Amino acid sequence: MIAGLGMTALGKVYGPTSAQFAADAVRLAVADAGLRLADVDGLLTSSGVTGGISIDLQRDLGLTDLRLLSHLQAYGSTAGAMVQFASMAVLSGMASVVACVFADSPLQPERSAGAVYGSRRAPAGWWGLLGASGVIGANPMYALAARRHMERFGTTSEQLGHIAVAQRDWAVLNPAAQLREPITLANHQASRWIVEPFHLLDCCLVSNGGIAVIVTTAERAAALAQPPVHVLGWAQSHPGRYLRRNPDFGLVSGAATAGPAALAMAGRRLSDVDVVELYDCYTFTVLLTLEDYGFCAKGEGGPFVASGVLGPDGKLPLNTGGGQLSAYYMWGMTPLSEAVIQARGSAGARQSAAHDVVLVSGNGGVLDHHSTLVLASEAGAA
Amino acid sequence: MSVGPVERDDATAEFFDGAAAGRFLLQRCPAGHFSEPAATQCTTCLATDLDWVPASGGATLVSWAISWGRSSPGKEPRRTVLAIGELDEGPWWWTQLAADVVPEAAELAPGRRLRIEFQRADAEHEAVPVFVLA
Repeated sequence: MIAGLGMTALGKVYGPTSAQFAADAVRLAVADAGLRLADVDGLLTSSGVTGGISIDLQRDLGLTDLRLLSHLQAYGSTAGAMVQFASMAVLSGMASVVACVFADSPLQPERSAGAVYGSRRAPAGWWGLLGASGVIGANPMYALAARRHMERFGTTSEQLGHIAVAQRDWAVLNPAAQLREPITLANHQASRWIVEPFHLLDCCLVSNGGIAVIVTTAERAAALAQPPVHVLGWAQSHPGRYLRRNPDFGLVSGAATAGPAALAMAGRRLSDVDVVELYDCYTFTVLLTLEDYGFCAKGEGGPFVASGVLGPDGKLPLNTGGGQLSAYYMWGMTPLSEAVIQARGSAGARQSAAHDVVLVSGNGGVLDHHSTLVLASEAGAA
Repeated sequence: MSVGPVERDDATAEFFDGAAAGRFLLQRCPAGHFSEPAATQCTTCLATDLDWVPASGGATLVSWAISWGRSSPGKEPRRTVLAIGELDEGPWWWTQLAADVVPEAAELAPGRRLRIEFQRADAEHEAVPVFVLA
């Protein structure tokens, strides 16, 4: 059960370190659940591009006698993975109240996000050779993936633009979103190239802040402050072909195995899913995950997203908070946090009428690491 | 864009020795399977006794992307074509597609023939493989 959600101010929030954001997020999540810090007996931590978070967070929060403590790293799939491990811990009796937290602070005044995200280039060895070759950071790698999909299936930039426009329309309804001005397909097409075939509006934001969730037992959650969100099913998939010959590159990701596995564990079918929150480092990641999860046939993601199915007026509630493209970039905590809000029915103007079963994805590396969660409200769990 | 500076380490020393001599070195196992240069075991049969052998230098285009630099007043943004090439021996390689002029879209399609060449950022740094249109 997810019984608590804590979100610090997100976006261009300067001052706190990543560790301070993380500690704030845990305190907020504990309070949200109606618990006290002393109730927490498990802590899982995850850091972003700037690092700065470790199991030292235990000391920062004054948590004593923990029964579970670890730092996890599976890139963008980590948030989902933390909830999975926390769920197993509480189901096994290893711990009873587990806080899972991610925070990052890449934005600094007077410093471009590119300078932060491009700085992982190493001057030596294989990694240095990749950078020296000009393949630096995530943008080129995902652009290469998207181009391959376009060549194979005829997917177009305009079709990707439909995802960006729809998510911005959702962000307009989300007070926590960083970008709330509506955009059009023409805006998407006119936005500058980052790495062709990606325009600026195909790429996620960069944000400072922290988000935490509290995972606990069903018995415990029933007596707490918030409507409990059931964790019905989960799965991971790590294909393991990064920088290797990979016939699936850009065409199929780990979502194709993790999605069906998580739904099977939950005893649910895709048609039971009411709300979908997908990891969206790029528009293309959303398109590929929709195909891999089976919302449309392989290769038909382009026509599917352009069919009017997306956005607040569409019939598929997808990335209902605006996602990482328009709301906030907290890696896997972005789709997870919105999923919890929707499952609780507390999303206000952007609340999906049907919200019994929520499907959540996390994606890390270059489509190399995938986590899926199937969450449910009380009604959906029945 | 030209290539950037890179230094060798223990894992890449032999590869860069080959690059300095104009040879793109791959790993080959006793059964004859080729693996990418960074492999420490055969990607096909998991053998760990690998030898460095020169690739033919031929490749075909798998995918490409065009990285745009920031534009500044009165200056065209600099564009760099980045490519995945499937080497004729099987492994894939990621590097820029070096060209004086960015190729027209019609020039870029899966299966387009490529050739490996080498460029250096400067005399102090290692030779870096790049693709050129064959």
